[in-house]
Amino acid sequence: MSIYRRVLLFILCSTPLLIQGCNSWQVNELSAALPAVGPQKTLLELEKITPSQRDRVQYLLNRGILNLYLAELESSRKDLEEAKAIILSLQAVSLSENMAAYTASELLRSYGGSPSDKVLVHVMLALSYLMSGDLIGARVEVLQADSTMQQLDDGETSSGQLASARFISGMIYELGGEFDDALISYRRAYKIMTGRNETIPLALQTSLLTLSQRQGQVIEYQQYSQQFSRVASVQNSDEGEWFVIYYDGLVSNKAEARISVYDPGANAVISVVMPQYYPSTYRPASLILNADSHNSRTQIIEHMEVRVREDLNRKKAGILAAATVRAIAKYQLSRGAGQQDPLIGALVNLAALASEQADVRSWNMLPASIQIARIPVKLNQQLELINKSRTLPAIAQLTPSKYAVLLVSSLTPQLHSYPVNEAISALQ
Amino acid sequence: MRNLVAVLMLVLVSACSTTVERVASDSTVDLSGAWNDTDSRLVAEEMVADVVSRPWISDYNADTGKRPVVIVGTIRNLSHEHINVNTFVADIERALINSGRVDFVASKHERDEIREERVEQDLNAREDTRNAAGQETGADFMLKGQINTILDVAGKEQVRYYQVDLTLISMSDNRKVWLGQKKIKKIVSNAKIRY
Repeated sequence: MSIYRRVLLFILCSTPLLIQGCNSWQVNELSAALPAVGPQKTLLELEKITPSQRDRVQYLLNRGILNLYLAELESSRKDLEEAKAIILSLQAVSLSENMAAYTASELLRSYGGSPSDKVLVHVMLALSYLMSGDLIGARVEVLQADSTMQQLDDGETSSGQLASARFISGMIYELGGEFDDALISYRRAYKIMTGRNETIPLALQTSLLTLSQRQGQVIEYQQYSQQFSRVASVQNSDEGEWFVIYYDGLVSNKAEARISVYDPGANAVISVVMPQYYPSTYRPASLILNADSHNSRTQIIEHMEVRVREDLNRKKAGILAAATVRAIAKYQLSRGAGQQDPLIGALVNLAALASEQADVRSWNMLPASIQIARIPVKLNQQLELINKSRTLPAIAQLTPSKYAVLLVSSLTPQLHSYPVNEAISALQ
Repeated sequence: MRNLVAVLMLVLVSACSTTVERVASDSTVDLSGAWNDTDSRLVAEEMVADVVSRPWISDYNADTGKRPVVIVGTIRNLSHEHINVNTFVADIERALINSGRVDFVASKHERDEIREERVEQDLNAREDTRNAAGQETGADFMLKGQINTILDVAGKEQVRYYQVDLTLISMSDNRKVWLGQKKIKKIVSNAKIRY
C-alpha cells in the first residue's frame, strides 16, 4: 500500500475516534453537572446521546443508576441487567480491539467495566430488587456478586473486593433469616476493611457482634467485643432495626494527561495520553438519623473515590505500554509521510495528535462513598432523617418483621424502603 | 480486489440482518449455559413421572374415598440465577390435573383476585349468577420446594449444578408424603477470544 493510501486510511480511521471521544467528554460533563442539576435532568440529557456499541456498557450503567436514584426500579434493572450481560460477553479477549488499541486508540476497546464496576452492578441490582420488595431477586444478585468477587480475587491485590457488597449480602441474608450466611458475609467485609486498614463502621461492628453471639461463636464474639470495646445489645421483643444504606456525593471523572514530545530529527510531535484522576476534593457527609431523641450517623463502608483510583492504577502499566506502542507506530507513519511530502507529514502528525485520546470512560455516576448504619428502634417508633427533613413511619406500620431497609442518596430527595412503603417512596 | 470487496459487503449485509428459525419447543438450545426452557421441562417431566407413580394418591383415596386437593405454596429460588419457577410448576399442575387423580385449588396469590371478583359479584351480579363466599375447597396437601445451585468457576470454565427439591406436605398433620428431586449439572466454557 502506498504511503498516500496509508495516510488516507489513517485519517479516515481517526474521524470516528474524534466523535467517540466527544461522547466520552459529553458523558463526563453530564456527570460533573449531576450534583447541581439532579438525576432527572441528567437522565434526559444522557438519553440524547447515542452511544456506540463500544460505549454501551458505560451508558447502560450510568442510565441504570440514574433510574435507581429516581426510583424507576424496573428501568434501572433492565439497563443494569443488559450491562451485566455485555460485561460478561466482553471477558473474552478481542483480537481486533487489541490490534486497534495498539495501533490507533485506546477508545477502540469496548468499555467492559472496572473490577469494582463488575461487582457494583450486582450490588445496585440487588438493591433495586430489594427496594421493589423482591428479596429473592436481591439474593440472586448477591450470590452473583460473590461469584464475581471470587473470580476477581487474584490472591495478591484486593482488586474487585468490595466491603459494601459483602455487607449488603450479609444484610440480605439476615433479612431472609439465613444467619450463618450473613455472618460469613460480614466476616468477609471485615476482612477486606482490615486488609485496607480502614475504620470498621459501627453498623458492621454491630452485625459481627450480634451474629457471632447469635450463632454461638463464643471465641469470635469475644474477639470482636474486645476489639470494638463493645458488647452485642440484646434486642427486646418490642424493638426492631433499620438498615440504612446512604449514597453520598458523586465519584470523580477521569481526566486526560497528555505528554507531547517534539522530535527534531523527524520534525514530528510524539503524543502519549493517559487517563488519570485528579486528587479527590470529596468531603464525606453523613446522613443524620434521629430515633428516640438520639442522633446516629451513617459511616463509610466503601470509599468509591479510593476504589476507582486503585482500579485505574492497576491498569496503568498496560495502558502505558499500549500508548507507547501506538505512539511509535504513529511516529513512524508520520515520518514516512513527511519524507515523501512535508505537507502530508504535517497532516498525519495532526491526525495522530487528534486521534490520540485517553480512555476517560468510567461508571462516573456512582456515589463517592457508600455509607451504612444500623439503627435500633422501638417497633412503634418513627425515624427522623435530619438532613432530608423527613420522618419515616414506625417499623410496626411497615412489616410484621423486625427489620426494615432504607436506601437514600444525597443526589435526590427520593427515598426507597424495604418493605416497599408508598408513604416513604412518595416525594415530599 | 473487486471480488473481495463484494464478498466482504455480502458478509457485512448478512451479519446485519435478523434471522429467525423456528424450532421444536422440546429441542435443546443452550446459549449462555444459564437455566433455560430445557431445564424447566426436564424438571417438570421428572417430577410429574415421579409424583404420579408414588402411593400417596392411592393411600389418600383409600383413606378418604376422594381425590386429594393440592395447593401450590412457595417454591423458593435460592440459586445464582433469576429463575421463573412458574414454568415447571405449571407443567406439574397441568399433568396432575389432566391425570384426573388430583385436584388443584388456586394458590395464595391467585385466589386474592378471585375473592375480589366474588365481592364484586356480590355487589353487581344478578342474584342467580352470584357465587357465594365461604364455599371454597380447602387443600389437603401443599406443594413446596426450592432450587439450589452450586457454582464452581475456574477461569473461563464453569460447573453449574442445579438441584430442584419439591415436597408435598399433608395439611392435616404436616406429614411429608412425597419428595421429588431433580439434579442438573452443566459444564459451561466461555469463549476466551472474540473477533
